[in-house]
Amino acid sequence: MTKKKKVQWFWMWVIGSVTLRLILVYFPRNLNLSSRPEVSTPLTSLRRLAEGYWLKRSSMSPYAGSMYHGSPLLLTFLGPLTVTRIEGQPDQLLCSLVFVIADVISATLIRAAGRSLQAAYSSSLKVIGLHQLSETSEVLPSGDFAALVYLWNPFTIIACVGLSTSAIENLVVVLSLYGACKRLASLAAFGWVLATHLSLYPSILIIPVILLLGYGPDAPPRKLFQQRIKLEVGNSSSIGSNNLKEELKDQSSVLKVFAWRLVVHFFIWILLWSSYVLVLCGIYLQKHGGLQELYRRTYGFILTIPDLSPNIGVLWYFFAEVFDFFRSFFLMVFHGNILLMIMPLALRLNHRPCFLAFVYIVISSLLKSYPSVGDSALYLGLLGLFSYELKDIRFSFLLFAGYVGVSLLSPVMHNLWIWRGTGNANFYYATAIAYALFQVALVIECVNCMLNHDRMVTKLTTTKLKDAKS
Amino acid sequence: MEFCFLRILKLTMKVLVMLLLFLGNIRNSAAYFSSSSEATMHTNNWAVLVCTSRFWFNYRHMANTLSLYRTVKRLGISDERIILMLADDMACNARNKYPAQVFNNENHRLNLYGDNVEVDYRGYEVTVENFLRVLTGRHETAVPRSKRLLSDEGSHILLYMTGHGGDEFLKFQDSEELQSHDLADAVKQMKEKGRFKELLIMVDTCQASTLFSQLQSPGVLAIGSSMKGENSYSHHLDSDVGVSVVDRFTFYTLAFFERLNMYDNASLSSLFNSYNPNLLMSTAYYRRDLYQRHLEEVPVTNFFGSVMETIHTDSAYTSFTNKNFGGAKTKIFLGQSFSSSDINSVRNSDDEDQFNNLTAEEDQHNEVGQCIFCAMDSGHLWSVIIGNVITHESVDFFVCYGLVLMLPLLVFSTWLSL
Repeated sequence: MTKKKKVQWFWMWVIGSVTLRLILVYFPRNLNLSSRPEVSTPLTSLRRLAEGYWLKRSSMSPYAGSMYHGSPLLLTFLGPLTVTRIEGQPDQLLCSLVFVIADVISATLIRAAGRSLQAAYSSSLKVIGLHQLSETSEVLPSGDFAALVYLWNPFTIIACVGLSTSAIENLVVVLSLYGACKRLASLAAFGWVLATHLSLYPSILIIPVILLLGYGPDAPPRKLFQQRIKLEVGNSSSIGSNNLKEELKDQSSVLKVFAWRLVVHFFIWILLWSSYVLVLCGIYLQKHGGLQELYRRTYGFILTIPDLSPNIGVLWYFFAEVFDFFRSFFLMVFHGNILLMIMPLALRLNHRPCFLAFVYIVISSLLKSYPSVGDSALYLGLLGLFSYELKDIRFSFLLFAGYVGVSLLSPVMHNLWIWRGTGNANFYYATAIAYALFQVALVIECVNCMLNHDRMVTKLTTTKLKDAKS
Repeated sequence: MEFCFLRILKLTMKVLVMLLLFLGNIRNSAAYFSSSSEATMHTNNWAVLVCTSRFWFNYRHMANTLSLYRTVKRLGISDERIILMLADDMACNARNKYPAQVFNNENHRLNLYGDNVEVDYRGYEVTVENFLRVLTGRHETAVPRSKRLLSDEGSHILLYMTGHGGDEFLKFQDSEELQSHDLADAVKQMKEKGRFKELLIMVDTCQASTLFSQLQSPGVLAIGSSMKGENSYSHHLDSDVGVSVVDRFTFYTLAFFERLNMYDNASLSSLFNSYNPNLLMSTAYYRRDLYQRHLEEVPVTNFFGSVMETIHTDSAYTSFTNKNFGGAKTKIFLGQSFSSSDINSVRNSDDEDQFNNLTAEEDQHNEVGQCIFCAMDSGHLWSVIIGNVITHESVDFFVCYGLVLMLPLLVFSTWLSL
């Protein structure tokens, strides 16, 4: 058995990325990243949070004036940090430090999740008899890679230095995925509740989290296990019946039986955590309209998209043009687009819930109402977790070049349009469409590659079974 | 058991509130449909002062309008509520011996063109089209607010027109006419759009009373300086300036108002009775068949000034009812700093205030009703309970501690499930 290789000096790389972020925070000339539309959206901007905090301190509703649209908990947590100023240090230093710490914690969680995923996958490959494949799958420390990709991704760095609260949103999503991989129901519930509370879209991750808790981390298709067990039963009946029961026990322990108890615990913890969070929010906003106001201003804002300022998404341009009569129809179409993809993907990829979560995150960051680079940071980091299965991905260079090109051209087009006036909205929207296309290409290619990998594994297993039988 | 009781209680309260809202709305809508303006409260005063003639020899029309502008400002209407339309510039006319000064009397006691004259429509902008647009409120989108008549259904509007007129018409700029049926149509539109509660039309031209002969809208009072077939004459010639400086009708109107200050409550009937046909050399005719109230009861400051009833309150504004006020209320807060004791003392009276407001007759703003509806949903009882337990400053600390407490809870629960 080959030893699991670790990335050398993993922690050195982590410290290096932290240093890079601190350098950017202390950069002498103002980078002004927090005013870029790609980085800060009406939902994630820290300046809006500071405004909301000031409004709350002036005994007004923090949602007055349609500036702040986030969670009151973030307001309590980050609000006081936005006002404390330390002499001689850059503004918002404390908030930047919070985001850097959030990024580091996300990276460690991704690493740990990747490790458990890898271990589970290689052991499940061993169970179905593909020992060689299982060894090769362990050569690549995908957890470490994913963590380092997450930390060194320019999108993540820009989102962190640009004072976007997406760092915290990504942290809670990763926390819930980690909890689900480790089959800790309360941790997964906590992460899921907070992720849904902070931004609405991670609520669709409940399906992969339930699948993770029920069936365990990613594994080859379940029918292969059943075939293996049949084979083992067949073999052991020829060997002798005293080994039979032990063999069956071993096999059934890895046979994917849905763990209902864990899922029920998960739901109980969801109820507990969500009631805790809602009680806190209700108390915080009791004078300003309570929970109804909260839902109207956060979820209502996300769903009805009243703010059509440009961003890297595809919705603002469309809704600036649509007639009022059809506005609610198109809102339903766009949000339904995300919902309609949930079921088919869940049916097809239910044996790989972590990958399913990755696909959901890509789709939601593609079609969400106010996307930013922080959302791409999350799924690009999670992409690294599947580096073994996705090693045969096609067009990887094209996609990479596409991402780089779009991220360079998009600020240029924005400048041309807004600041110089020589371009118009179509220039900027073209880069947004190109970005969406590249994301779509990425997710389609990843799913394709994963399914090809599954087919390869199935083929290998069936040939092995045929050899064993014959 | 308690949940059932709470639910029943909430349900009954909701039904009560719905009934109250329903009744209130019925009352208001009935008042609106009956087209009597008694249900709406008089809230503001506007003045539209129009001088329609140009050329130097029509100096007196300019002086008429400016004198009335001065009077109306002196008695309380502010510039933002006055639309002043002057068809020509006399003060800076090349033939004016006293540059930047306009007089309405040969004793030159008053300079009407003082420091703070705000002319909204000047020169060639004074046209029939613009006048009708001002009245009906149908402007191009680029027209600034200072040029719009932004009145509502609680407004009293004074409309004063002077210039050259005749049988059923008023001449604008020596090139076009405003006819009496145009004016009647515009007033009818204004009434339908709820742009005034009461309107006083004062016309100082030849055969002035024919101009409002076609009016049909209720709530309109009109007075003209002369009847059909009569001319209106200028008062006197200022030999220094070289032209007549004021018309008789306006002169005697001003003489009436110069005796008044803001706090006198002289009535409209005394104004209308003060006109002496011998002195005017014409018959000042007023039309009151469209106006329901008795002229003895209406103070002149209802139209010519702006004296509003103030209601004194001791408590500070709270921010709870700002769901619909939103932007407006934030402006109020910026200048104030209030202590938490104010907020505490007001919070408990919130509910009673809101109920009282709903049952008060004058207040027909739906925003209050909506606020009650929002307040009375299922969260309200809970928030009342919480509100009595936790005071204002400690809410933030409580939530902060709750947030911090989440982490040890999480660690503990994870350890449990390990």
